Amino acid sequence: MNPPVLSVRGLTTRFHNRAGAVTVVDGVSFDLARGEVIGLVGESGSGKSMTGFSLIGLIDAPGRIEAGSSVKLEGRELIGLPDRDLRHLRGRRISMVFQDPMMTLNPVLTIGEQMRLVLAAHGRIDRASARARSAEVLGRVGIPDPTARLDAYPHQFSGGMRQRVAIAIAILNRPAVIVADEPTTALDVSIQAQILAEMRRLVAEDGTAMIWISHDLATVSSIADRLCVMYAGRIVEHGPATEVLGAPRHPYTRGLLDSLPSQSEPGADLRQIPGATPSLAALPPGCPFEPRCGRADPVCTTRPEDVEAPPRGWRCHHPLGETAA
Amino acid sequence: MTAQLAHPTRDTATDFVRLDRVTKIFAPEVPLTRRIAGLFGAEIDLRILRAVDAVDLTIARGEALGLVGESGCGKSTLGRVLAGIHRADEGTVEIDGAAVADRDGRKLTTRVQTVFQDPFASLDPRMRIGETIAEGPIAHGLVRRREAAATVADWLRRVGLDPAFAKSFPHQFSGGQRQRVAIARALAMKPDVIVCDEPVASLDVSIQAQIVNLFLKLRRDLGLTLLFISHDLGVVRHLCDRVAIMYLGRIVEVGPAAAIWRNPRHPYTRALLDSVPKLRLAGAPTPVIPISGELPSPLSPPKGCHFHPRCPIAVERCRTVRPPLVRTVDGRDVACHLADAPTPAPL
Repeated sequence: MNPPVLSVRGLTTRFHNRAGAVTVVDGVSFDLARGEVIGLVGESGSGKSMTGFSLIGLIDAPGRIEAGSSVKLEGRELIGLPDRDLRHLRGRRISMVFQDPMMTLNPVLTIGEQMRLVLAAHGRIDRASARARSAEVLGRVGIPDPTARLDAYPHQFSGGMRQRVAIAIAILNRPAVIVADEPTTALDVSIQAQILAEMRRLVAEDGTAMIWISHDLATVSSIADRLCVMYAGRIVEHGPATEVLGAPRHPYTRGLLDSLPSQSEPGADLRQIPGATPSLAALPPGCPFEPRCGRADPVCTTRPEDVEAPPRGWRCHHPLGETAA
Repeated sequence: MTAQLAHPTRDTATDFVRLDRVTKIFAPEVPLTRRIAGLFGAEIDLRILRAVDAVDLTIARGEALGLVGESGCGKSTLGRVLAGIHRADEGTVEIDGAAVADRDGRKLTTRVQTVFQDPFASLDPRMRIGETIAEGPIAHGLVRRREAAATVADWLRRVGLDPAFAKSFPHQFSGGQRQRVAIARALAMKPDVIVCDEPVASLDVSIQAQIVNLFLKLRRDLGLTLLFISHDLGVVRHLCDRVAIMYLGRIVEVGPAAAIWRNPRHPYTRALLDSVPKLRLAGAPTPVIPISGELPSPLSPPKGCHFHPRCPIAVERCRTVRPPLVRTVDGRDVACHLADAPTPAPL
């Protein structure tokens, strides 16, 4: 197998305040191959977005990526890289798509100007070529009449079209990796279906690798090759998407799946996970899922080790069997 | 425009809640100077938004009706008209034969209550939740002040919260717990009908399951009549007996949930259901053929059937004539000229 485009080892991000440190990303490790889509799933506060932000170095004080973390992009270590060098890579080799496209778009610049700036930031390019390249990419993400739309401002686009523009900006410099944080969550299902189809086509055509962060298991399963399920800042289970969803090893993954309406008969009570996600400031000492877990016993008050059984892996003292219901 | 609408057959047993050709229009305020100019013959840009366009809808007592559609289709506006928050510009809204609002739009009844999407915005941050729950019933004389504490405790228990929470403030609660408080507040008014506007949309999957289960339990315990507005088709399928699908202010299809999921008759319903990502437990992702194009501006909706520019089977008549909502052979109401054409095999 080719060396991964992105290799993450022991990524740990903490927020420091007077009361102490809160660990929001806790020892996250994974490899991303060229053209691969990894889905990062979890609920609010699971650390999935913070993992995405940490990867592209968007953690500001009081947050800190801790020593010992490693993020290698195309073989190059990003952690500890000076801002200037990091800026040179962002938008060129690794780029991000946010849930709200207005996080990317400047409301007072035309789309064409913003795209030109992105191109000019990473190489000398004249206006005519920048325009031609921008129009080409807008066309690829499904914006009708792209050349004319270059002169429009963000407010003249619908929400779905704005997200397409944000995606166009992300792929403009043909990055090796795109981090997409809930890119379709704010969109209607019909627009979401369009964007999912476009993104699948784009990564297949360009061989771009992608990290797709979402709370929606169904959406993720329709685009990701592999899944990492996060809980309380940790990856509790990972593996090929269909295997993780078809036969989860971690009780939390099972619980999430079971709570979906599509997994119950209409009108029947949904199987619910008791309790609520724990506060990151007051995690139980062992497995963070222990207080909500039906399989927990005294050993679960100690921290479970990573079990690696390629292509899968999990962190659980009492993993579910292959045929568990 | 409304005259051409055929009346679906009405069954008096099933129309506990009855919306009759309800229209809600939003028009921009025309500045005085423009109006004066108008008197002298200047053209005034009178772009009006027909958010709800001659909608007929009924809900039986004890029934949960799901109202689905994409952003801007008018589903929340319709819910607010039913709740008496917005005045209908045309048409009538009745619950058990009594109007919910008078001619001036003043709400006449406490028989319909609303649960809103955002439990962070819908609860007063400076009121203890016990006061929030008791405020309405006391103001309307449904409970006496000295009985209020007992009533609050009772409702908190019913929505799965500890009665001791009555003394707490909203910021002490999680999103799921706040939504339980909002539900308790609505229930404390002893309404006949509850309008739920995206009540689970802002909640995490595991919390969403808890709230869906709470609605199921309350329906069983109290025989609630629900209008459940949501863009989450999975939740609607799970919770609702019947479903109405809205597109640009109009109902395009309404019928039993099971029948609609088995065999959607309106092309928009079919496309909408096809757009929902399916949980993939094996094999490669199923290719979804998305609906082409985007939702047209509701300020200038297409003529005829609003859906015709995006419809794969549209014919000439669809471009000019609004299809009426008519009862089809299998007991469903569909607003499509081609609804009785042979349909593709069930999915």
